[in-house]
Amino acid sequence: MEFNLSAESKLMIKAARDFAEQTIEPIAAKIDEDDAIPDDLLPKFAKAKMLGMMIPKEYGGTGSTALNMILITEELAKTASAVYWSLALNNSVAETICHWGSDNQKELFIPPLCDGSNYAAMAFTEPATGSDPAAITSTAHSDADYYVLNGTKRFITNGKRKGYGIFYAKDETEKVTAFVVDKSSDGYTCSKPWALMGLGGQGLVDVFLKNVRVPKANILGEKGKGFNVLLRWIAGERVQQMAFMLGMGQACLEESLKYAKERIVKGRPMTHMQGFQWMLSEMHASIEACRWWTYRVASKQDDGDEIQVDSAALKIFVVPTIQEVARKALQIHGSYGYCKNYKIERLYRTIAHAGVTGSSTEIQKTLVGSSLARS
Amino acid sequence: MDIVICIKEVPETTNVPWDPKKGTLIREGIPGILNPNDKNAIEAALQLTEKYGGVVTAISMGPTQTDDALREALSLGVDNAVLLTDRHLAGADTLATSYTLYLAVKKIGRFDLVLCGKESADGVTAQVGPQLAEFLDIPQLTYATNIEIIKGNFVRIKQKLEDVYRELESPLPALITVEREINNPRIPPMDHIMEAYRDKQVMVWTADDLGGQMERFGLKGSPTQCLKVYTQRIKKGKVQILEGDGFMVAKELVQILRKRNLT
Repeated sequence: MEFNLSAESKLMIKAARDFAEQTIEPIAAKIDEDDAIPDDLLPKFAKAKMLGMMIPKEYGGTGSTALNMILITEELAKTASAVYWSLALNNSVAETICHWGSDNQKELFIPPLCDGSNYAAMAFTEPATGSDPAAITSTAHSDADYYVLNGTKRFITNGKRKGYGIFYAKDETEKVTAFVVDKSSDGYTCSKPWALMGLGGQGLVDVFLKNVRVPKANILGEKGKGFNVLLRWIAGERVQQMAFMLGMGQACLEESLKYAKERIVKGRPMTHMQGFQWMLSEMHASIEACRWWTYRVASKQDDGDEIQVDSAALKIFVVPTIQEVARKALQIHGSYGYCKNYKIERLYRTIAHAGVTGSSTEIQKTLVGSSLARS
Repeated sequence: MDIVICIKEVPETTNVPWDPKKGTLIREGIPGILNPNDKNAIEAALQLTEKYGGVVTAISMGPTQTDDALREALSLGVDNAVLLTDRHLAGADTLATSYTLYLAVKKIGRFDLVLCGKESADGVTAQVGPQLAEFLDIPQLTYATNIEIIKGNFVRIKQKLEDVYRELESPLPALITVEREINNPRIPPMDHIMEAYRDKQVMVWTADDLGGQMERFGLKGSPTQCLKVYTQRIKKGKVQILEGDGFMVAKELVQILRKRNLT
């Protein structure tokens, strides 16, 4: 069992940290406040070769690993910015196309996601369903060399931004099929962005498909087996999301330590008081546990192991654990933590997202529980 | 424009304990980083070769783990990397270090510029660059905040002194030490980091490879001997706040200072 990160991984962490501190942190509060991510940020990720981390170089990727992807996510997460989602989607959607796609699909759709010219999207959720494939109402009707898509997709990150997305609809056999859809297609329109509690700039919209013609060549994976595409994607995405939580948890601890060392209470820094020491130590222990489990699941992903249940169990543990870390961080900051002048306020709001997005924590419990029951 | 850069791996933290008997830093277990000032030297070299062409070679003297600092240099875009490592080179002061680097630069052969960071974050002497220039018998231009090549074979720098800036010119080849403010070092892209560790080579030269006189290497060749290391004792004081009328407070303050023989 190997617990040491390679020198290569350590340098990647350092590079990601420098990138986050120089490129994202100075504008993170403004992105959140303005609810808008600058257009030049995705090309900057591309230049740093952080898009397509798990994609072979022949398609414009970096040719690295899921674990290295997790490590850089953890560093970027410390900014508690919605820019993470653009990075995560371009990586995970490119990887999904790389896994399921034909050679032609790979050549066509992956390079624009790696070079930062396109924003990826993943569109399964609908107004009446979040996780149940049977409840999907979007339809795909065959018409010569095309499928004609109709329906509404809800909460689609980067749904409005230029690029390709993977959309799910029921075909003529009533089974769910995955399609790669050009977001500039005729009949593709979006709502205005949802106003979120945190993650300002995420660009979460509803997408309306009205007779959108998609070439049959754009079916991803096997026809009628779109749910397999979704499940595999969401397992990897969960690990990325937990790395996002982990990085934000670490930022909570760092902000709390900084504050507690400077804040003088009764003539001594707060860090001298046992009550706060205990809170800090519990935060540290929680984060370490989350860290090593997240790394472990990413390593399993690199080994080609099935991670559906592992990633679900990981989410069951990480989400409440990091949310408790954030709560403690807020307590340590006192009233200041509730002020927007302090980063902990943004961290707290952003950390709240993970239990209800990318499928809820309760769905993970059902997934893990049913797996245990079957075993 | 062929450039040699001298780089060093330094402890990541400034809080490195001293060995009071040996008078050296206890570096075991403390992760190393590429000396921040050397990153500026690398960036300056890369900008010059991007403009004028040429090859950048990084050299570093240190234990085998210094390999990581050289890999980082490779990931940033440096063409070649040389590690000078040998037990005979250990314990060197700035003179023995400069002598060793001089032999390495001579072995590399052709160069137009040698670039160094102004100083290392751990030693903070700013001596190695100037001493290396003396060994190489080339002009030295220190504390550069700007570098430009003029008339093809001359270099001009903007030198930062305490209160003023000076412009200095010299023919090439020359040695330049750079300030932090000269540039904003680039961040290595992820694929370059992978190439640095998987595809590129760090050449390893020992004392024998360098030639030179053995007695001038390492601890033997170091006239600087650390006799004693001690940590400054910090007396913990107590803050006393004087309140009330300004005149009375001033009067009380003077009395307190007199009482403590501080006037």
